[in-house]
Amino acid sequence: MVAQGIAEIFYYLGFVTVSTVGVVILLFLIISPRDPKPTPEKRAAFESGQIAVGRGRTRFIIQYYPYLLMFVVYDVVAMFLFAWALNIRSLGFNGTLPVAVFLVVLMVPLAYALHLSKRPENW
Amino acid sequence: MTDLAFLAFAFVTVIAAILAIEARDLVYGAVSLGVSFLGVAGLFILLDASYVAAFQISVYIGAVVVLILFTVMLVGPAKGDGPMEFKKASLFGAVLISLMLGMAGTLATTTAFPGREVCGSGCDLQLLSTTLLVDYGIQLELLALVLAAAVIGALTLAKAEKKE
Amino acid sequence: MAILTSPLFFKIAVFPGLTSLAIIAALVTWLDRKITARVQLRIGPSYVSPVGGILQSFADLIKLAFKELIIPAKADKFFFVAAPVIGMILAGGLVGLIPFSPETQIANLEVGLPVFLAFLTLSPTMVLLAGWSANSKYPFIGGLRSLFQQTAYEIPLWLSAIGVVMMAGTFDLLKIVEAQSTGWFIIPQALGALIFLITITAEMERIPFDLPEAEPEVIMGWQAEYTGFLFLAAQGAGFIKLYVFSALFATIYLGGFLGPAPVPGLVWTLLKTTVIIVLIILLRGSFGRVRIDQLLRAGWTLLLGLAIANIAITYIIIQGIPSI
Repeated sequence: MVAQGIAEIFYYLGFVTVSTVGVVILLFLIISPRDPKPTPEKRAAFESGQIAVGRGRTRFIIQYYPYLLMFVVYDVVAMFLFAWALNIRSLGFNGTLPVAVFLVVLMVPLAYALHLSKRPENW
Repeated sequence: MTDLAFLAFAFVTVIAAILAIEARDLVYGAVSLGVSFLGVAGLFILLDASYVAAFQISVYIGAVVVLILFTVMLVGPAKGDGPMEFKKASLFGAVLISLMLGMAGTLATTTAFPGREVCGSGCDLQLLSTTLLVDYGIQLELLALVLAAAVIGALTLAKAEKKE
Repeated sequence: MAILTSPLFFKIAVFPGLTSLAIIAALVTWLDRKITARVQLRIGPSYVSPVGGILQSFADLIKLAFKELIIPAKADKFFFVAAPVIGMILAGGLVGLIPFSPETQIANLEVGLPVFLAFLTLSPTMVLLAGWSANSKYPFIGGLRSLFQQTAYEIPLWLSAIGVVMMAGTFDLLKIVEAQSTGWFIIPQALGALIFLITITAEMERIPFDLPEAEPEVIMGWQAEYTGFLFLAAQGAGFIKLYVFSALFATIYLGGFLGPAPVPGLVWTLLKTTVIIVLIILLRGSFGRVRIDQLLRAGWTLLLGLAIANIAITYIIIQGIPSI
């Protein structure tokens, strides 16, 4: 038995997808003007007036990569906290202690990350 | 109706996973992986585990796929190696893996998982939360240690690379 | 034919679904332009229509439909088109979960709140793909900035929503509203509500967090190469999100459709949503832009710390005052 409401959300998403994609296709094929002979300048990448040189996908902001890693981990933490938050009235101390320890253990890497971020040569 | 939905989700999961491995452009492969995870989330929904499905979507697709995409984009204008050639050894590997999965599937469907019984849609989530925290509290702490180690390790690596 | 007259179809296609969503998104766009203009001592849209230029967004919609769609030569065609469209569909899909009133809710999921937030987590992926697909420097840098910004502010968003779940004891959005009949959650959750407001403004890339679209720096960021309908999709997704997030705020903190009797619940929800929309729009006219390293640091330290403090405070309140 599937939870109630799931079917409706799928119908709704399906309807929105079909109508949006339908509108997009309709507009492309019918309304928007098409240029039969586009000049190369028209389809070139935009670089404020100068001719784009070099790869388009440059200048990675690599120094913020650790933030993405932390996001993955703390996303999981947040989901576990959701499971805990559901039930705090009936859980009492037995249920809250593991979560408190869980949080404390996971605050340590966060503190380390922030300590690292204080010094600009790190990231 | 649920059979049809199951077939659809299973189909999407498997096909997207195959595309994820075979795609020549790695970005397409990573996005196919995301679609495969969507299929898995759909299967969770069919199993009446909507919370796990939400967990799956937000962690796997929202975080892991993003990380994979970022890394793939970082590595370069990647066209992959092209489609694999068929080798004798890979046939052997395919047979072995099918046997292993068949055994695992048989085991999973004939024995019961330990734990509390389900109690219907109203109190299922409460039960999930209690089981997770009270029954498996120690495992939760171990998980916390593993995650913390992963983060500290990643931070140390990122720091060491900038050292020069 | 029976399907067209069924109440579900009405909810999906008309209200609170597709048609009303499109109209409300257009009105929210107008509201944004008008209020920002007034704050900046300008007039804003005023030509198109009976009062205050209210049909301006519809005029823009028609105009954009007639624009030529230019796909850059080196762009990845599939993702270039797909990413903003999917982003818009996801934003629109969120409307399905909001309980505008007990009868006008498209889908009442038992796990409504996590599913809502999970869909939200898909948006950084779409933005990253959109920025990458244009194969051009400005969109790519803007897309990366947007990715980091959205992932940084997503965690405090989740954690502040956890405070609401603690008070209500359920994930079901309808029950969360009903649990507020003894008092709106914004009072015990004042800190959480503030964090929620800040983080949703950051998720929508609105000022003061519009670094990914900072015009003097990256032109329009990940939206820079988009024309015609795709531009509409990229911008429209932002305004749909404004509507949907404000509605969520009204649902989980301001008691949704609860309110004194003669006014129907639906009107209360829309009224509260409008108040929050106006508040967020006013932020646009009042603040400067936050720089990226300040932004990421603030998200990961200050807001995360405050959100956890909010959880702790809520826990103490609940244990201490059993009646809540």
